[in-house]
Amino acid sequence: MNYRFQFGVVWDNFGALLEGALLTFQLGVIAFGGGAIIGLICATLKTYGPWPVRALVNTYVVFITNTPALIQIYFLFFGLPEVGIRWSNEACLLIGLTLNAGAYLTMILRAGFLSVRITELEAGQTLGMSLIQQVRYIIVPHIAKSIYPALANFFIVVLVMGTSVGALIGVDELTGQAINLSAVNYRWLEYFTVVAGMYVVLTLVASIGLALLGRWAFRVKARIF
Amino acid sequence: MERIIEQLPRFFSGPNMLLLLEAAGLTLGMTIVGCLIGFALAFVLVFLRQTPGLIWFPLRLICILYVEVFRRIPFIVVVYLVLFFIQTVTPNASLFTIAVIAICLYAVAYTADIIRGGLESVPQTQVEAAQVMNLSRLQINLMVVLPQAWPVIIPPAIAFAVSFIKDTALVSQVGVFELAFRGKELNNQGFSGILVFGTIALCYFILSFPLSLLGQHLEKRLATPRGQRRSR
Repeated sequence: MNYRFQFGVVWDNFGALLEGALLTFQLGVIAFGGGAIIGLICATLKTYGPWPVRALVNTYVVFITNTPALIQIYFLFFGLPEVGIRWSNEACLLIGLTLNAGAYLTMILRAGFLSVRITELEAGQTLGMSLIQQVRYIIVPHIAKSIYPALANFFIVVLVMGTSVGALIGVDELTGQAINLSAVNYRWLEYFTVVAGMYVVLTLVASIGLALLGRWAFRVKARIF
Repeated sequence: MERIIEQLPRFFSGPNMLLLLEAAGLTLGMTIVGCLIGFALAFVLVFLRQTPGLIWFPLRLICILYVEVFRRIPFIVVVYLVLFFIQTVTPNASLFTIAVIAICLYAVAYTADIIRGGLESVPQTQVEAAQVMNLSRLQINLMVVLPQAWPVIIPPAIAFAVSFIKDTALVSQVGVFELAFRGKELNNQGFSGILVFGTIALCYFILSFPLSLLGQHLEKRLATPRGQRRSR
C-alpha cells in the first residue's frame, strides 16, 4: 500500500466543513424539536385517546419505525413532485427527519408516560394538588428522570445518523460537504477521516451539554460515555 | 395519479419483481452476515476490555475508544472510509465485501456495549464464587457469566440487527445492488417515484416488521421479573 495522505487540501477547505457542521447541528436540533412535539402529541393520544385515534397513531409509529429514513426522504424528494408538491432538498430532509424522529419519540415518551404509577397521582390528589400542580410536581419530574437518558441518546442518533442521510439528496451538511469537496480532488480518505473526527467532537459537545442540562434541570445523572 | 395506474402492470412485471426479491435477499444477507461477524468480534472486544493489569491498559483504551468513536460517526461516513481504504489496499474487492466490512465495524461498536451491559448484569458474587473455585477467566466467562447473561444480551442484540436492516439502505450510495439502490434505478427508468419508493418501503417493512415482533416476543419471554435475578 503506497498511499500518501495529504491533509493540506482538507485544511484549505476547513471553513466549508465547519459550515457543514453548523448546518448538521441546526438540522439535528430542528428535527429533534419538531419530532418531540409530534411525539408528545402522539404519545398523549396513544395513551388517552379513543381507539380509532390510537390505531392511527399505532399505524404511523409502526410504519415509520420499520422503514428506512432514507426511503421516506426519497419518497418526499422523488415522489411528491409528481402530485405537484415541490420542496427544496433541505425541506424534504427536515420534514422526513421530523416525521421519522416523531415516531421514535412517541415510543420513548409513551414509555415515560407509562412509568408514572397511578398511586403517585392518587397521593398527589390526596394532598389537594390541582391538575396543573400534579403535572408540574409529579408527572414531569418523574417522566424526565426516567426517559432523559433515552432522549439524550436519541438526540445523538438524529444528529449523526439522521442528518447524514441528507448527503444522499444533496443537502450540504457535514457529510454532503465532504462528498462535494472530495469529488473535486479525490482526497476521499483524508476528507472523511477529518469529517469523522468532526462528528466525534460535535456529538461529544452535544453529549456533555445534554448531561449538564439534565443534571441542572432534572437532577438526572445522564452518562456522557 | 393516472400515470401511476397506467404504469402498474409494467412495474409489477416478473423481471422487476425478481429484481426486488434479489435486492431484498441481498439487504437481508448483508445485514445478517455483517451483524453475526460483528457480534462475534464484539465478544472478543469485551473480553479484551476485561483484561487486568497495567500492561494491558493500552489495549483496554483502544477497545473503549473504538466503541466510543464508532458510535459517534454516521454509518455513511464509515461506508465511505471503508470503501476508499479497501480500494487502495486491494482494488478488486467486491462491493458486497466492502458493505459487509462496514456493517461489521459498526455492529461491533454497538453490540459490544450491549454485551458489556449483559455481562455486568450478572451479580459480582457469582464471579467471586467462581474465582474461589479456581476457574480461569475464560472459564468464568464461558461457564458462569455468559449462561446467565444471554437473556439480557439477546433481545437488544436482535433489536439492533433488525434496526440495522434499515440503516443498510445507506450502502446503496456506493453501488451495492440492494433495495434502496434498485429503487433509485427503477425511478431513473421513469417509473413514478411514489409507486417505486412506496413499494420499496413496503419491502423493508415486510423484512423488518416480523423480525421486530420476534424481538419483542423474545424480550418478553426472556425478561425476568425484577428481584428474581439475584435469587437464581
